[in-house]
Amino acid sequence: MQVLARHDVRVSGVPEGRPIVFVHGFGCDQSMWRLLVPDFARDHRVITLDLVGSGHSDLEAYDPVAYGSLSRYADDVLEVARELELEDAVFVGHSVSAMIGALAVTRAPECFGALVMVGPNPRYVDDGDYSGGFSRADIAGLLDSLDTNLVTWAATMGPVIMANPDRPELAQELTESFCSTDPDIARAFARVTFLSDNRTDLPAIPVPTLVLQCSADAIAHDAVGVYVHQQVPGSVLTRLAATGHCPHLSAPVETTAAIRAFLRAG
Amino acid sequence: MADPRPDNARSALSRLLDEDATDLYLNAPCGYLSTLPDGTVVKVNHTLSAWLGRTAEDLLGTRLQDLLSVGGQVFYETHMAPLLRMQGAVREVAVDLIRLDGSLMPCLVNAVELRGPDGEPQLVRATVFEATARRRYEKQILDSQSAARAAEQRSRTLQQIVIDLAGASTVSAVAAVAVRRSASLPPSGGAGLLLLLGSGPATALVTADSAGLTPWMIAALERAAHGSLTLLGNLGSARVVLPDERMQAAEPELVRVMHAQEVSALVVVPVRAEERTLGLLVLISYLSADSKGGLIDLEEPGTGWVPSRDELGLCTTVGVQVGEALARARLHEEQTRQAARVSYLLDASQQLAGSSGVQETVDRLVAVAVPRLADVCVVDVGHGRVLRRLAARHGNPARQGLADALLRYEVPPRSSGHPAAAAVTHRRTQWLQVQEADLRVLLPERDQQDAVRALEPAEILSIPLIAAGQCLGAITLISDRHRVGLGPADVELAEQLALQLAVRLHQEERLAAEVAISHLLQQSLLPASPPARPAPGLRAAFRYLAATQGVDIGGDFFDVAPLPAGRVAVAVGDVVGHDLTAAATMGQLRSVYRALLAGESGPAALIGKIQASWEMLGLQRMATALFATLDAATGELRVASAGHLPPVLLTDGRARLLNVRPARMLGAPASDAVEWSGVLPPGGSLVLYTDGLVESAGADLDIGLDRLVSAVQGCAGTSPESMCDELLEVLTEDHRADDIALLVLQRDG
Repeated sequence: MQVLARHDVRVSGVPEGRPIVFVHGFGCDQSMWRLLVPDFARDHRVITLDLVGSGHSDLEAYDPVAYGSLSRYADDVLEVARELELEDAVFVGHSVSAMIGALAVTRAPECFGALVMVGPNPRYVDDGDYSGGFSRADIAGLLDSLDTNLVTWAATMGPVIMANPDRPELAQELTESFCSTDPDIARAFARVTFLSDNRTDLPAIPVPTLVLQCSADAIAHDAVGVYVHQQVPGSVLTRLAATGHCPHLSAPVETTAAIRAFLRAG
Repeated sequence: MADPRPDNARSALSRLLDEDATDLYLNAPCGYLSTLPDGTVVKVNHTLSAWLGRTAEDLLGTRLQDLLSVGGQVFYETHMAPLLRMQGAVREVAVDLIRLDGSLMPCLVNAVELRGPDGEPQLVRATVFEATARRRYEKQILDSQSAARAAEQRSRTLQQIVIDLAGASTVSAVAAVAVRRSASLPPSGGAGLLLLLGSGPATALVTADSAGLTPWMIAALERAAHGSLTLLGNLGSARVVLPDERMQAAEPELVRVMHAQEVSALVVVPVRAEERTLGLLVLISYLSADSKGGLIDLEEPGTGWVPSRDELGLCTTVGVQVGEALARARLHEEQTRQAARVSYLLDASQQLAGSSGVQETVDRLVAVAVPRLADVCVVDVGHGRVLRRLAARHGNPARQGLADALLRYEVPPRSSGHPAAAAVTHRRTQWLQVQEADLRVLLPERDQQDAVRALEPAEILSIPLIAAGQCLGAITLISDRHRVGLGPADVELAEQLALQLAVRLHQEERLAAEVAISHLLQQSLLPASPPARPAPGLRAAFRYLAATQGVDIGGDFFDVAPLPAGRVAVAVGDVVGHDLTAAATMGQLRSVYRALLAGESGPAALIGKIQASWEMLGLQRMATALFATLDAATGELRVASAGHLPPVLLTDGRARLLNVRPARMLGAPASDAVEWSGVLPPGGSLVLYTDGLVESAGADLDIGLDRLVSAVQGCAGTSPESMCDELLEVLTEDHRADDIALLVLQRDG
């Protein structure tokens, strides 16, 4: 149970349904999946969790050295999967968690039967012919910019985040969730997110994989999605009409449909 | 309440307010922006488009994300858009908008999401505030925060180094800590600690420890540092060495290696203590690679690290700490070595003190010398030109055969330059590194060269054995090629050992000389050759044997003197003690005895006279004595004893102790002597002796006397000379603790 508490793991849906694990990316927590969960809960066992350092996870469990690479994050998810005795589960990972998923399903194919990568980018920094979409200077500027928002904002602005008068309970929850992000952890997670290179992990993914590529995604542009699709053996690439980097928020219906179509076909 | 203002003023204001809904929007003191949920701009005010240097037409249809800097885009995607979707609003998000000319405008953005009846997002309205000053202020806060963090990190690093150094008590432990901890300092590529060893022109920089440096790099560093000491210079603080043109001119080899190993910079940190440079700590920075520690390096590949002033300051401080720790460790090591040396020398002196005789002393010395000091130890002893080789020992028992071979040779003539010969000639320690060619020069014989060569000598150390101004020989130590070379401290220790040996050898020599003198003195005091026929009809034979153990010089004496009227005076005595004083006392006593003989006193009267005048004579030691007179013609025998063992009488093939009642010893309070008188029949023998003949360690005196009586009886019918030989043969052993005087008188049959 310690593991489940550590990640504030929430389980809903049909207990005997195929397990589907949603793992959030950088900057968010498991509440990001709220628009997808109700639909999948109809016929799946739905598991959502917070990565250590995000949301309501146990911040005490965070260690900057251990969490200095994605490997530890993947092991964490595997611990949850084993605790819940998952078999043939679907790993849905957004952004950096698409790569965490790549590591997790490769390490424990006995737990996972499918991988859905939402807006994956195995390497943000351009490297020779490979175009990740960012130069080193871009990433350095990005980390500085995150500092500005994370550190000064988190320190001074937490309680003032405007509540939505119509849905006060929602605003309250999110405010708390967002403010619970420790700026030092957020900074370190940003470094791991934007400075990892997981390209060589892609060809080893042993389960059916769906690459969900949004339109006009500034963080993972189309060529990156194509690259991931080419590198993951037998993967499916689905382009969404949704724009931006968070189709599960901006286009939950389309996203749900794409995932369901993939799972049906698989 | 009526408005107190005039009508015209009131209407102007209300006109202004009425007209202003559009104007307020367009020319508000902040930027307004409306976008579709996907960020597409659908409405923008003049203020914002003016700030951005664009027209509203330009901006419409553009996505908000596309107006943001890269960092802003990512923040928009990862935070702003999700939060808007989830909580309906965001406030004071810091982003940079890109102006038409490409410059950035720092802004704060507030936004709300408008939703339709079904909750679906329809529009996002945003206000944009220019925040250049505020951003600058925030940047300063961030900078000072990160500077504080860096300072704290430096202070923690330094603290850790200080703690680790405090626990290092040896030079190698200090070096390990210095290198391990320094390797994590900002350049992070690796570190090496080079220490100055030796002094004067022989000074060299030697790498004590390193991490992350290739042997090639280390060699180049040592050469560069040793060659011109360019690296060392007059360093007061840490310095950056770049492979630039200046360095290229000064240290081309070092620069070549730096390029080849992709080293971007070295930080050279002086390691000092008490104003003295002990060495250098060299930190190395490699050209950045694509990734470091699993994450992509933010430095472009191939660029180098440039230290900040604070980082260099930290390096300097680390150098100071390492220097002080080194000085501490060296002091501690020196104290430990000193203690080990003292204990070693103490042990050696105990070993030598327990020895007796030159050979044993030398044997013990070589056993102490190897393998502690060297692999082979040879001792040559002698005065004048010839040195005798007394011992050669190998520290490895399995190779003792090689050392034994050396015993067959002597030190060659002094002109050969052989170290032992040179040590004795010049009275100075000789220390040389051995080259193959030296052996042929130093040693005359080919097989002697072979014997030494077999030892694989690397260094030879010969020290003269000098005591009381005399050179008694030389001790030679050989260290072979498998041993770390001798150091000055080893040489000093060996010299101390040599001094101990010399003093002990000198003692032995003095002792031997004293023994020789004592015996010589004794011999000279004894009758040079007592007459074989002291009187007609009487034959005499005598033996005097010195003790075999040098320290025991006896005070034994005997005397045979003819008296008028065919009589003979006989005396045997033993002065207490075994030294020169005893021998001298014996001489004096004999003179007194001879003088008193002239007075025609009988034996008992003689004892009385000597006792009476004892104090006046000033004799220093007490003595036992047996005096007798014998009339050769009649056989009349008178005997008196002062504490001496009784003589043995042999008559008719039977031997017995003569029942003489002894008076007290000479020098003890006087007591009357009782004279025994009787007759020595023709053919009878009288045996006089000192206690050395009947005393043996641990055996009862009575047993000794019984053995003597039996032995004398066994001599029946033989001549006095034969009796002496026979008695000594039967009664004495090779080792005698005491002198023996033996005198046999025999009347012709």
